[in-house]
Amino acid sequence: MLRFIIRRLLITIPTILVVITITWALVRLAPGNFYTGDKKLPAAIEQNIREKYGLDKPWREQYLRMMADVLRFDFGTSLSYPGQSVNGIISRTLPVSATVGILAYLLALAVGIVTGSIAALKQNSKWDYASMTLAMVGISIPNFVLGPILVLVFSLMLYWLPPSRWEGFPSRNIILPVITLSAIYMAYIARLTRAGMLEVLGADYIRTARAKGLSETQVVVRHALRGGLLPVVSYTGPALAFLLTGTVVVERIFALPGLGTYFLHAASNRDEPLLIGIVAFVAIVLLLMNLLVDIAYAYLDPRIRY
Amino acid sequence: MRAEIYCSHKFRMANVYWKQFLTGLALISLAFGAISCRVLANDEEFFGKTTPPPRNLLRYVNGAEPESLDPAVSSGQPEAHIYMALFEGLVEYHPKSLNAIPAIAEKWDINNDSSEFVFHLRKNARWSNGEPIDAHDFVYSVRRAISPEVASRTAALAYYIKNAQAFNQKSVFVRDPATNQFLLQRDFAAAGTPVSEALSQKGLAPNELEYGATATSPPSHTHTEFHQSMHSPARLVLPADEKRRKNLVESDAKLAAAVNGKEFVRVVGEDIGVEAVDNYTVRVSLSQPAPFFVDLMAHPLFRVVHRKTIEKYGASWTEPANIVTSGPFKLKWWKPYNELVTERDPMYWDVANVQLDEIRFYTSTDHPTSMNLYRVGGADALINHSVPNPWLDVVRPKKDYMDAAEAAITFLLINVTQPPMNDLRVRRAFNIAIDKETYSRAKRTTKPLSAFTPTGIFVGYPQPKGESFDAELARKLLGEAGFPVTKNSDGSFACEKFPVQGLSLIFATHTSNKAVAEFMQAQWKQNLGITIPLGNMESKTHMVAVNKLEYKGFALRIWGADYMDPTTFLNMFLTPSDSGSGWWDQKYVDLLEEANHTLDRQKRYELLAKAEKYLLDAQPMIPIDTPSVNFVKKPYVKGMYPNPASLYAWKFVYIERDSSKWDYKTPSLSD
Repeated sequence: MLRFIIRRLLITIPTILVVITITWALVRLAPGNFYTGDKKLPAAIEQNIREKYGLDKPWREQYLRMMADVLRFDFGTSLSYPGQSVNGIISRTLPVSATVGILAYLLALAVGIVTGSIAALKQNSKWDYASMTLAMVGISIPNFVLGPILVLVFSLMLYWLPPSRWEGFPSRNIILPVITLSAIYMAYIARLTRAGMLEVLGADYIRTARAKGLSETQVVVRHALRGGLLPVVSYTGPALAFLLTGTVVVERIFALPGLGTYFLHAASNRDEPLLIGIVAFVAIVLLLMNLLVDIAYAYLDPRIRY
Repeated sequence: MRAEIYCSHKFRMANVYWKQFLTGLALISLAFGAISCRVLANDEEFFGKTTPPPRNLLRYVNGAEPESLDPAVSSGQPEAHIYMALFEGLVEYHPKSLNAIPAIAEKWDINNDSSEFVFHLRKNARWSNGEPIDAHDFVYSVRRAISPEVASRTAALAYYIKNAQAFNQKSVFVRDPATNQFLLQRDFAAAGTPVSEALSQKGLAPNELEYGATATSPPSHTHTEFHQSMHSPARLVLPADEKRRKNLVESDAKLAAAVNGKEFVRVVGEDIGVEAVDNYTVRVSLSQPAPFFVDLMAHPLFRVVHRKTIEKYGASWTEPANIVTSGPFKLKWWKPYNELVTERDPMYWDVANVQLDEIRFYTSTDHPTSMNLYRVGGADALINHSVPNPWLDVVRPKKDYMDAAEAAITFLLINVTQPPMNDLRVRRAFNIAIDKETYSRAKRTTKPLSAFTPTGIFVGYPQPKGESFDAELARKLLGEAGFPVTKNSDGSFACEKFPVQGLSLIFATHTSNKAVAEFMQAQWKQNLGITIPLGNMESKTHMVAVNKLEYKGFALRIWGADYMDPTTFLNMFLTPSDSGSGWWDQKYVDLLEEANHTLDRQKRYELLAKAEKYLLDAQPMIPIDTPSVNFVKKPYVKGMYPNPASLYAWKFVYIERDSSKWDYKTPSLSD
């Protein structure tokens, strides 16, 4: 098991370097620069800027310098926000994204697993149909539609909740973004749980558990859920990575100062250090989450050995 | 896109196969749609709540996150709003007219041809740390702002100042080591190039001749050595880059001979025409007459910054813990991408007249999000252009909707270097085939434009008229150019010989840009029978295509004024490379030059109008409209006027609690 983890961690390093190289190349290939604005800059002013940020050097030199910085975990200074370090931006925005993300994740897990289980246990009942219909709605409505609808109802009509902005945690501002963000995950988890549970409930070992006289609760919680949740686990690992690192759309709709907001900004403003920093960070989180999923599999499914 | 959801009765859905489910959902969405339209289209006088905040604070949705708090760095409007709170210059923008009003300078004298200015600073101006602000602070700030090291994007606004361009471009003077004399520009000027005859370039004359009798305190006792050097002919300036300099020198035998054996001296900050005559007097010498220059000096580029802080902290001088400011407000805290809060600075010289305790600048780039926040009373005013187009029907009749002309123009740039658009007749045809009146009626917030300066902005400017809509003539012109337009049996037109291949109308991705482009496309199709393909581009990609002339046909552009003078628009075609159309004409440049040397304001305007007419006749672009300011502000926010550039001198803004004194319509700019 330990060897497996170490091997996986080592593979992570070249993967990240490749991801960074591709990102770097893509920003370079995209037309325009961080200083390209509405009005054309006089050539001399453009030259001043290029010299100030070392863009006049050969690209090999620029690439090697960037890589050297990355290997020291120093992503440099943002180009579109002069004076702000990329590391500073990430460590400042991550708590915002992570707070919303983790809350959305927990909400999605709690509601999703419970509804999915009920649907599976009462298959073809009205509970099943109702919850699966809701899940279908949740999957079908994109968050850029759901968010404004929630704002419309709870902020503009009822005046219960603020429509946007970040006021820290805990605050009432966080409720709508969390619901908006979790809806689609909630729906997926419910459907995955139902499918997984249905498969497991027909398995021999459940019959065995029932046969040896366990109560229905014990059968469900101790045996069925453990096997039935495997598809959920493989889904929620990467899902958590995306939730933690911010979602562009929800952060924009609710004007949240999270990582996703900066991700979008960095890409559209050709802010190379910021973009590379965020991409590298997201890639690391994603790879770690995948690793955690594999470890969790080994724990949940006795058939799996590493 | 989300704006449409509120009032349209359909939702886009993924493929769902349960029939009854679909029906149910349709019903739900219908209900939502109905409710939301009712919610938004209600009969309220104002758009949303009108309860003033409990304290004297203004919550202002400022659009994008500010790039930097350094006033020399950014050119964007969100940044300008923050700079105007934190930093002050010698002059400030008038809240209505945007003309210069006294700030750190109490008063100023202008010489007889607007090429030299003497500013008299007030003695009680102070930094936020209590230290006095004097003339040396201003001189330092300008030298720093245009230094190549700061690499300011707006530095070109200071190029009117003598030697400023050379300093910003890292150029060199040429000095004879034997005599210590510099080579002069006039000895090497190409034949026909007008040599500047500004008073500031000539030998010093008695003060009355330079400044007239109106000057409040004649600065005659202050003829310093530096002032003498300003009042001498311009020195020859060559590029600092050795390769470029060598090429230039080698191409000109006379220059090569003159430069031989001379030394090159880098132009430094001390060379530019900004001088602290004494602790409270600043003299600014320009290389040409510029009657608008005092107004231009309210720009953030010229605001004073604290030398000791910058030298101590370097790039991090703007961090909240370090920053020292000069404006009516000082930084309280800054939570990036969330809010930047400023509070009244007790050290400010005019603190008694600063009405607000606090201004909170909120970052929100999504217009519907901002509008919602405003509606529930979470914000008191929004940045310009924050009302989404589909909301206009509902928001426009409200009394807190701000509607006024904007100092900006929308136009289609034409790449005149490629056929068939290199033919003036073709360009004219494409211009007059567009019915701009109908366009503006459809767009609702704009005024049709036939010229290259905005309508109704420059008082007294005799704006010339371009050609107006005439589809018949347009077809005739195309025929003359060799592309006959024929009428089909169903009444539509066709122009089969016109080479559409490769031509396109490119625009930066944005819903409103798309609407403009589609309208133009439809007009040409209808009136000329020509379908020009549309090219939707990500905004930076679009800019690069325009700047490098990597488009064939038309490019949609919007140009906003940097200062309140027609030249802020007309100068776009001053150099061959800057406009992005490929059009350039020495005669046009001469006309502008002549105007700028004209002392009488009205006469100058007439000459500028002549230049504009010349430009319109050559038609390297198609004017479309003068956009409008459009934003909302609560009726209790007073002193905030929808001026043409949407810049507010914050110390005049206040919260009015007496509802009888509220704004019940767009406040007037004229009284």
